[in-house]
Amino acid sequence: MSPRNRELLFLLPAVLVTTIGFATVYIREAERLEWASLSYGGLFLGLFGLVHVAERLLAPKADPYLLPITALLSSLGIMMIYRLNPDLALQQAIWLLVGLGVFVFVLTVARPLARLASYKYLLGLGGIGLLLFTVVFGREVYGARLWVRVAGIGFQPPEFAKLFLVVFFAAYLADVREMLAVSTRRILGIAFPPLKYLGPLLALWGLALALMIFLRDLGTSLLFFAALLALMYVATSRMLYVVVGTGLFAGGATVLYQIFPHVQRRVDIWLDPWADSQDAGYQIVQSLFALAEGGLTGRGLGQGFLVLPSGRTLIPALETDFIFSAIGEELGLAGAVGIVLLFFIFVWRGLRIALASGDDFVRLLAAGLTAIFGLQAFLILGGVIKLIPLTGITLPFVSYGGSSIVANFALLALLLLASHEATRQEEARLEAAVRGPAAQREVVVGPPAGGLRDLRAQGRGA
Amino acid sequence: MERPLKRLLYFFAALFLALIVQLSYVQVYAAPDLKNHPANTRALDEQMRIERGVIVSADGTVIAQNRQEGDYFLREYPLGDLTAPWLGYNSLRYGRSGVERAYNPELTGETDELAARSFLDILTDKPTRGADLQLTVDLAVQRAAVDGLGERKGAVVALDPRTGQVLAMASWPRYDPNILDERWEELNQDADRPLVNRALQGLYPPGSSFKPVVAAAALAEGLFAPDSTFTDEGRYVAGGFPVSNYGGNTYGEHDLTTAMAKSINTSFAKIGVSLDEDLLAYTRAFGFEKELPLPLESSVSTLPEPSLIDTAHLAQIAFGQGQLLATPFQMALVAAGIANGGSIMNPYVLEQVTDFHGAVVERAQPSVWQTPVSPTVAGQVAEMMVQVVERGTGTQAALPGVRVAGKTGTAQVAEGGDHAWFIGFAPADDPRVAVAVLVENAGGGGSVAAPVARGVLEAGLAR
Repeated sequence: MSPRNRELLFLLPAVLVTTIGFATVYIREAERLEWASLSYGGLFLGLFGLVHVAERLLAPKADPYLLPITALLSSLGIMMIYRLNPDLALQQAIWLLVGLGVFVFVLTVARPLARLASYKYLLGLGGIGLLLFTVVFGREVYGARLWVRVAGIGFQPPEFAKLFLVVFFAAYLADVREMLAVSTRRILGIAFPPLKYLGPLLALWGLALALMIFLRDLGTSLLFFAALLALMYVATSRMLYVVVGTGLFAGGATVLYQIFPHVQRRVDIWLDPWADSQDAGYQIVQSLFALAEGGLTGRGLGQGFLVLPSGRTLIPALETDFIFSAIGEELGLAGAVGIVLLFFIFVWRGLRIALASGDDFVRLLAAGLTAIFGLQAFLILGGVIKLIPLTGITLPFVSYGGSSIVANFALLALLLLASHEATRQEEARLEAAVRGPAAQREVVVGPPAGGLRDLRAQGRGA
Repeated sequence: MERPLKRLLYFFAALFLALIVQLSYVQVYAAPDLKNHPANTRALDEQMRIERGVIVSADGTVIAQNRQEGDYFLREYPLGDLTAPWLGYNSLRYGRSGVERAYNPELTGETDELAARSFLDILTDKPTRGADLQLTVDLAVQRAAVDGLGERKGAVVALDPRTGQVLAMASWPRYDPNILDERWEELNQDADRPLVNRALQGLYPPGSSFKPVVAAAALAEGLFAPDSTFTDEGRYVAGGFPVSNYGGNTYGEHDLTTAMAKSINTSFAKIGVSLDEDLLAYTRAFGFEKELPLPLESSVSTLPEPSLIDTAHLAQIAFGQGQLLATPFQMALVAAGIANGGSIMNPYVLEQVTDFHGAVVERAQPSVWQTPVSPTVAGQVAEMMVQVVERGTGTQAALPGVRVAGKTGTAQVAEGGDHAWFIGFAPADDPRVAVAVLVENAGGGGSVAAPVARGVLEAGLAR
């Protein structure tokens, strides 16, 4: 089966879940909802169908699982939002539309991906620019200054800055990775790489982090820091970066904890939310109560105690940061673990794309995007279930939020392009290997990538 | 770059596994504790946002209603502490009691039948709310009971003996359920237990108010007749235990009716000894040692441990002492049983349930609970009880133009003054109301409890 036919097949469960889900919510909440709102489900599916067709044209060889996972996640998300607040669901549907548009746009313009690498400094500065823009024009919501209003539409530039910076770091590291992997100087008996190559990296990294911390966006700072650390490790294969990075993180976190009361508060709440369960710890305590209420199989879609008669949600930010608590209550452990597994499959496919890729930049880009996606999911999921301190970020594709949806669709488009290019390269290499060593030399540019052991064995045999 | 990528995948696998472990812990392992956590008011919160049904008295006066405040419907009790022994409370913080607890499924529309209706309402777009209750409380009788008791510790119960319909329940000290949350600490720590409904939950030695049960048993067993004669010498020793009369009186030769009218302990002690085990059997047949057939919080009236019961105990039980304990409600049922020809009807507090469309979904169906004695025996005991009010210890319960039947009780307690009791019913020939009055540590039943009963009977007859 071709990847695209496989994708079409796997889109079917998403169709089913969406149809059943919307019908359930409708029946349960008929007093609040109108029949017309059921059309969101149909609209939603039609859109994914269109995107699927676009993908057939623009990235036919791309991984077939990522789009169905995304469809399922966004359908669960919009269903939950619809159940919590039908008006927000309509907005989310519009943002989904914009996101899918951006998805097709990225598929069209970012190919081949190598072209992106040549704009790396522009993109890096663009990322910093977006953060600076937010620092200047940002408005504070929930203690973080993330919102900027342009032409009446609010959006969160850091969501996009994140992507730009990952592209920059992937491209920069692809250029200098070999230099960073060797050590020229020893300090205190530890071998360090040349500062010449490390300098610009650290400078931009530091600047981006400083800006994010200034924005009080703890979640994104943490996410960004960890993703870049992962990228450094993948690029150089040196544990040293991870060790030093983790040390820096511990040091930085301690300093931040000392300096910023809001960091202190977050940690204190995590350690003991029960101490102030009516105020500071309210959100997380209510989240745990909601999850406990869900139990193994949940109370059923539309049957949880989530919305008060005034229309306010019981847990503040339930549609955004805490949407997973709502899912946990209504779909139970079964549904919640399902969501976690969907995110894990996404990460697994993402890293497979990186493994399969023969090009350094594409490989690092795929790894970086996947790391950012996976970490974001982990940070917010872990936050709402009290595994780690809560940082206010969205659950990709599920949470309500325009910027988050659009940025994540751009991320998905880049990943699928990376996958498409990797498969095409592999096929070309396979073809060359069949034709013989002479032809192979002409086609293959750069060293053979990992994950191709079979091919190499085949090549030796020929 | 292959190895770091694989390690990265393992790292993510570990992170997501940790998520699943923590999720399982929260949603399954810790879930019962989280649900019962004191800070978890979700269950109550959910109930509080449901528009509970309105509760009305027998004449349709609203006694519990809702006030909407933001997300919640707050409960209001227009008559305050007057109806508290019935309604109990419905608190977000402290839970529920009384009718609010017992009929919570009806009030929130959660009974199977009501839920089926509200599912239809979902399909037909109708708003949902709980069902309305009509209680059996008669506010005039309730007021007479509450006013008669006044600020004396004790309880009053009034019933319609023909149906088992509960007309009044008073208990003092009491509380105002409208300001329960604010005063909870104080109420809960008060040594006089204002949160306890003494009518149903208080256990007291019934004293001589128990004598109708003994007389009924004696007549039913054919051991004695109303005109059987006894000779009182002021003192009777049963199993080594000396029995004397209230006030140290000596009555000489007299019949059973006079023994009842004058509440002569020595004669009843003799009856008790002759009845032997049968006395216990009849006591149980009148409802002792049985859960009251009411959904409200209540105590079971008790006999002494079987192993303790000897001749001395039998003699004491026969005049309502000897570790015999009864709730005022149980004693009202004794009066109601004699009044209703020997059949005690199942008492009930709920007249009918109306769903929010106005359709009656449940209506009280009077039925018999216990039949301890025959109508003949009950009639004979009733006649003796009339003599109590006409020429005996209970003259203060007499009403002009009405034959009132009754029995006083003055129960001795280990600490403090005697408990004053009165049980009775009227009119004696065609009883429409039965009553039990208990005033703690207040003295003689004839002087303290009988006047309270008179007021309640009068209000009950005016229905």
